[in-house]
Amino acid sequence: MISSPLSTDVLFHIGPIPVSDPVVVTWGIMAVMTLGLWLATRRLTIKAGPVQAVLEMIVEVIDGQIRESMQVDPAPYRTLIGTLFLFIFIANWSSLIPGVEPPTAHIETDAALAALVGGATLYFGIRVRGLGGYLKTFAEPSWVMIPLNIIEQITRTFSLIVRLFGNVMSGVFVIGIVLSLAGLLVPIPLMALDLLTGAVQAYIFAILATVFLGSAVSGEEGGKPEPQPPQKED
Amino acid sequence: MHIDWWTLGLQALNVGVLLWIFSRFLFRPVADIVRKRQEAADAVLAQAEASRTAALAHEAEVQVNADRLSAERGRVMADAEAQARATAEAILSDANRDAARIRADAEVATVALKEAEMTRLATQASRLSLEITRKLLARLPYELLVSGFIDGLSEAVAHLPEETRAGMGNPDQPLILTAARPLTDAERQTCQDVLERILGRSVTLTTETDPSLLAGLELEAPHALVRNSFRADLERIEARLIHHD
Repeated sequence: MISSPLSTDVLFHIGPIPVSDPVVVTWGIMAVMTLGLWLATRRLTIKAGPVQAVLEMIVEVIDGQIRESMQVDPAPYRTLIGTLFLFIFIANWSSLIPGVEPPTAHIETDAALAALVGGATLYFGIRVRGLGGYLKTFAEPSWVMIPLNIIEQITRTFSLIVRLFGNVMSGVFVIGIVLSLAGLLVPIPLMALDLLTGAVQAYIFAILATVFLGSAVSGEEGGKPEPQPPQKED
Repeated sequence: MHIDWWTLGLQALNVGVLLWIFSRFLFRPVADIVRKRQEAADAVLAQAEASRTAALAHEAEVQVNADRLSAERGRVMADAEAQARATAEAILSDANRDAARIRADAEVATVALKEAEMTRLATQASRLSLEITRKLLARLPYELLVSGFIDGLSEAVAHLPEETRAGMGNPDQPLILTAARPLTDAERQTCQDVLERILGRSVTLTTETDPSLLAGLELEAPHALVRNSFRADLERIEARLIHHD
């Protein structure tokens, strides 16, 4: 019997700090990524091997997406966007490992990620346009829009949280229910669908973060409609 | 539903660490190697461009050299042709001159040969005639070899210039009478008489014998020579044969 996906199980305490399940899974992902990437990138050469070629392709694709969406040099944003995409992707797919629940199925993880995006938007906006310039973007196209723009800043962060959380949590939820009803083979199509959802959500989260960053540094906020990739209704 | 703020804080921390991990172990090294590859490719391209430029320059230089060589070749060919033509003309001219000279030499040689042959033939003819004459004379009476020529001798002396005749027959300069055979006393006397009659004074006469006269007499004075013999006649005929043919 699985526990409620909405509850957070505390596995152990470090001093006064309770360490919950998503934190431990995230640490595991961090450890695996550190080890794997260290092994993969410790001997990079001009003539790329297969592993290096795959890594370079991933980086090139991320760069291409950033360049396409923001129309700027992708270097300053590569780490942020790439980390968001890869981590969410790996976290969503970690559900393949039996007994592991994706950290993104817990709202705390999604909130941390969205907070990172919000903070990065603020940081890059101020860094590129200056504090005054960034604040002025809230008064565009006119000062009447200031409250709406502020609300938009907040709501879109929340929309990031809820979109990712809802999709991943619902997938885990559905699989848990189905698994409790018919354990053998039946959940497999749903798990496959969950993988697809996980990949799409990772892409959506990353591309939305790119768009938010782009609007913050290009000053076209409000004038540019937010691209909405097709979403799945799970 | 509630939010575990400890989890939220730890996950925020984890996300920060993840940023560092991905940056440190993925994005930075991959971006570095891509940049290095780009630089290497740029260097190779620059080198290739430099090589291409150098090759083009070299090609142009080679073309210039080829043009120069071609022009030089043409000039050398023209020179050689002109020289060859001049040489050919000189050789032809020399050959013509040599041919002309050889032809002239041959003509001269032919003429000389012809003359030599004529001379030889004439000499043979004269020897033959001498032989014939000698044989014919052998059949004549012995006296005729002298007596038949006394009149001729006197006539020849009579035709000599006066001053020549005046010096002939003086005692200090005796006349030498040569005959084909020894003169008899009568013949000697007859000759002396005839000479004294023609010269109008007494003469001193010395006689000599020379069979090569064949027949006849020859009178030798210090300033005159009267030849009235077959040998003299034959020599005249021979000279005429040789020099007029």
